[in-house]
Amino acid sequence: MDSTIEIMMILLLLSDMALLGLSRLRTCISIVSFQGMLLGLLALVTQLGSLTPRLIMIAAASFIIKGFVFPILLRRGIREAGTQHEIEPFVGYITSVIAGLAMLGVSLWLGTKLPLFAAGSGTSLIVPAALTTLFTGLFLIIARKNALNQCLGYIIMENGIYTFGIVSVVEIPLLVELGILLDVFVAVFVMGIAIYHINREFDHLDSDRLNVLKG
Amino acid sequence: MQITSFINIILGLLLAPLLLGIINKTKASFAGRTGQPLLQAYYDIIKQLQKGAVYSKTTSWIFRAGPVVGLSAVLVALAIVPVGGIAAPLAFSGDLLLLAYLLGVMRFFTVLAALDTGSSFEGMGASREVLFSAIAEPAFLIGLAAIARETGIMSLSHMLPAAHFFSPEVVLVVASLLVVFLCENARIPFDDPNTHLELTMIHEVMVLDHSGPDFAFILYSSALKLWVLGLVIVGLIFPSPAGSFWPAPVSTAICGLILLAIIVGIIESLMARLRLLRIPQLLVAAGSLSAFAFILILR
Amino acid sequence: MNYEIVLWSLISIPAISGLICIFAPSPKFALGIMCAGVFSAALLGLLAIEAVLLQGKILFAAADWLFMDALSAYNLFVMIIVFCLSSLYACIYFHEELLHNNLTLKQLRQFTSLWCGALAAMTLVLLSNNLGIMWVGIEATTLITAFLICIHVSRKSLEAMWKYILICSVGVAFAFMGTLLAAASAKGVGWGSYNALLWTTLRTNAISLNPMLIKAAFIFLLVGYGTKAGLAPLHSWLPDAHSQAPAPVSAIFSGFMLNAALYCIMRYVPIVETATGNTGWGLQFLVGFGIFSIVIAAAFIIFQKDVKRLLAYHSIEHLGIIALGFGLGGLGTFAALFHTFNHSLCKTLSFFAAGRLGQIFGGHDMENMSGSLPVSPVWGIGIFCSLLALIGIAPFSLFMSEFQLIKAAVDSQAWIVLSLFLLGAGIVFVGALGHAIPLAWGTNQKSYTPVTATYFEAFLVFAPLAVLLVLGLWMPKTFFTALNSAANIIGIVGSVAPSGVGR
Repeated sequence: MDSTIEIMMILLLLSDMALLGLSRLRTCISIVSFQGMLLGLLALVTQLGSLTPRLIMIAAASFIIKGFVFPILLRRGIREAGTQHEIEPFVGYITSVIAGLAMLGVSLWLGTKLPLFAAGSGTSLIVPAALTTLFTGLFLIIARKNALNQCLGYIIMENGIYTFGIVSVVEIPLLVELGILLDVFVAVFVMGIAIYHINREFDHLDSDRLNVLKG
Repeated sequence: MQITSFINIILGLLLAPLLLGIINKTKASFAGRTGQPLLQAYYDIIKQLQKGAVYSKTTSWIFRAGPVVGLSAVLVALAIVPVGGIAAPLAFSGDLLLLAYLLGVMRFFTVLAALDTGSSFEGMGASREVLFSAIAEPAFLIGLAAIARETGIMSLSHMLPAAHFFSPEVVLVVASLLVVFLCENARIPFDDPNTHLELTMIHEVMVLDHSGPDFAFILYSSALKLWVLGLVIVGLIFPSPAGSFWPAPVSTAICGLILLAIIVGIIESLMARLRLLRIPQLLVAAGSLSAFAFILILR
Repeated sequence: MNYEIVLWSLISIPAISGLICIFAPSPKFALGIMCAGVFSAALLGLLAIEAVLLQGKILFAAADWLFMDALSAYNLFVMIIVFCLSSLYACIYFHEELLHNNLTLKQLRQFTSLWCGALAAMTLVLLSNNLGIMWVGIEATTLITAFLICIHVSRKSLEAMWKYILICSVGVAFAFMGTLLAAASAKGVGWGSYNALLWTTLRTNAISLNPMLIKAAFIFLLVGYGTKAGLAPLHSWLPDAHSQAPAPVSAIFSGFMLNAALYCIMRYVPIVETATGNTGWGLQFLVGFGIFSIVIAAAFIIFQKDVKRLLAYHSIEHLGIIALGFGLGGLGTFAALFHTFNHSLCKTLSFFAAGRLGQIFGGHDMENMSGSLPVSPVWGIGIFCSLLALIGIAPFSLFMSEFQLIKAAVDSQAWIVLSLFLLGAGIVFVGALGHAIPLAWGTNQKSYTPVTATYFEAFLVFAPLAVLLVLGLWMPKTFFTALNSAANIIGIVGSVAPSGVGR
């Protein structure tokens, strides 16, 4: 089980690196959808010995919402906005990947500081992977200009936090977890509506050009 | 030093050009052609050796030294790479660095020879070659460093058999090395060895002015380079326990190399050459895979 | 009396009235339902607050998931006042917009339902004992209020909304990470899943939490909720959102939403302090954020042209002051809570005035609004006096709370903090006064016919001003004890009661 978790974490980290390095929005959305499904499975794998209906429900909900609903919403956004690529991000793709590796390093260091799992075991990769995913999402929000990409970054951040939550803190009550999932879902939904309005009003999704208000 | 370890060198010297033939055969069968004979590379080398060389008046001794230095560097490299768990004759601790630098020397002299001709095409090829190898080399070295760190051994001959292929880190390194392998040997998607247009060439354009035995040396040394780098990858994928009777690991390694050649042929058939702008991105991706593996192992 | 039902209905009444508002057949109906929902929730809330603050009870409901102690009761009190005043004001404000055909029924339905939703979400934040549910409440306020900013869809309001929703969602996501870390810090203690996130459990067992994890949790929480509270340097969404939202919305943003986020941090402070051995480890960050907010806001206040942006930077400054007060501890906690009330009331009033004057002058540019006193005496007095109160002029209660804060700083001998605070306050004083005087008496290029105000409008202006004035001079005994018991929940040991303050 340990090695399964380790491989899942490495896949999660690899998908982070891919998200940092790729420019096509559609590909990025597919990767995020892959992440979502991976995390849905992670919930089951970590608790394989003691599967409860609660756990299966949460895993299924996040599998469906993150793996299918979000991608559908985002692809609609792409279709309506007609954007395929991020044009001239603040930080280039190669630099982003290098920054991602740096974030991985920092997360590994932070992971050793947080005494949650024994060092060296497969699960010791969980906290660094979660933090790296969190930082990746944050980095994408900061380094990309397209509003859809920023929305994607938010989902990635949530994925990171979810990873941490599902593995480190299994004791969270069902109601809280469902509330959280609902909130994230609504957040993405609201962002989707905002993107729709922005696209209709401005004819672009370049958040860098939303710069009338300052000072 | 055992007698068996010389098998490494002899096998390499004999079989290296065969890999080129296998790649070409695979591509031909994908395209539905009969293709060149399997031994075409041998015929080419022999034919070129029988011809005389033509030297431009503007070239200096560097132009003549290029192929010779290249061949000798790769011959030394052949002597430090193990074949299927049989220690290489010149194995020593830290030889993985020597391997990287021998390949560097070979490239350096090829580039110098290309620049020496003063042709603008060759200069262009040289600059591309240097750019790409500057990015590929870190990927190669960091990947090997990751393996060295995992096994705790600094010698290729003992490090490669000791690596466990099934650990995720090694998979990452293999993926990265495969990219480096394609780049270093000027294969698609980095470079098209059969292209007809000088503008798009990288490796082939650098050796346009070489002829006769010099060109034979170049052909032969690039075949050997393919062999050497292939052995590193195959060594990681099929680690064979030390101490088993030599024909078993050696034949495993050779089968591995043939498989690798077929895979390269398949990749070349399925992919198109990348735009020049995208090549550094792919190499950086390979480099970050290596670095990723290295960070994971350091953990 | 069954307080369980009271706590439940505090959340459900606004939520239900919000749902009704979606289907409102007419503008009057929508506003009426909204006011009915807000005021009935307010009355029930006052009942519960009375029980907590005056009779000293602690109310629990929903199997301990909802609770109300002195701290939440006090904050609920502030919120009720802000919401009641703002709801009344919203009726005036939108009545005016309806008269000028600036507003469709659809927009009004959207506004009223989201308004009630925001009330329900903020009440949930204040009443939840479960820290996870508290986070859900904060995130819900972000999502609900996002569309309140762009009731009028325009390029500017969309820009403000996008910044608001993105920055706050990201910030609040950090807070969620912090919440998880806090739950993880309790992992070794061995409570069931039920108790892991209950504030009351964490508070009583804080000593056995893992210090390293709770420290990491606090950093994440501070950044997360700090973003929502608009503490510099995480404040960049705040001036945009405040300036683009309709005035009633700006009033609840500034008057209570920021405090709600700060309230969440407050809940964690005693836990963190106890878990790290009462060394003031967590408090130093609050002091840092507070001082930085004050200084940054001071620098920006001088150059503002838009009156609502000016007020927004004032919010940053005052939230900084409140955070600083909490960070100083002791008397500072008391002063900070007192300041919360003063600032919320005053800022609500100033946004009312700014919004109404903006309608009269057709924009919020201070240059075009100069000489507002002759044009609209009531709202002109409102904006002028509230600006005076905001910069801490003597008889108003904001002066008193800031004065107590200075005393707290002197007591704890935090001289650098004190001097930075005084510097910031001084710059704000000069800068804002430079805006306030032309705003009231300046000469305007265009001439406007004076606008008469109804008694109702006059009440909205003078009642808060009177309260601020009275509290500045005399603090009722009950108010003092209420503040004191609320401060004791945050405070670490014993009584933090100031000796001879405000009596």
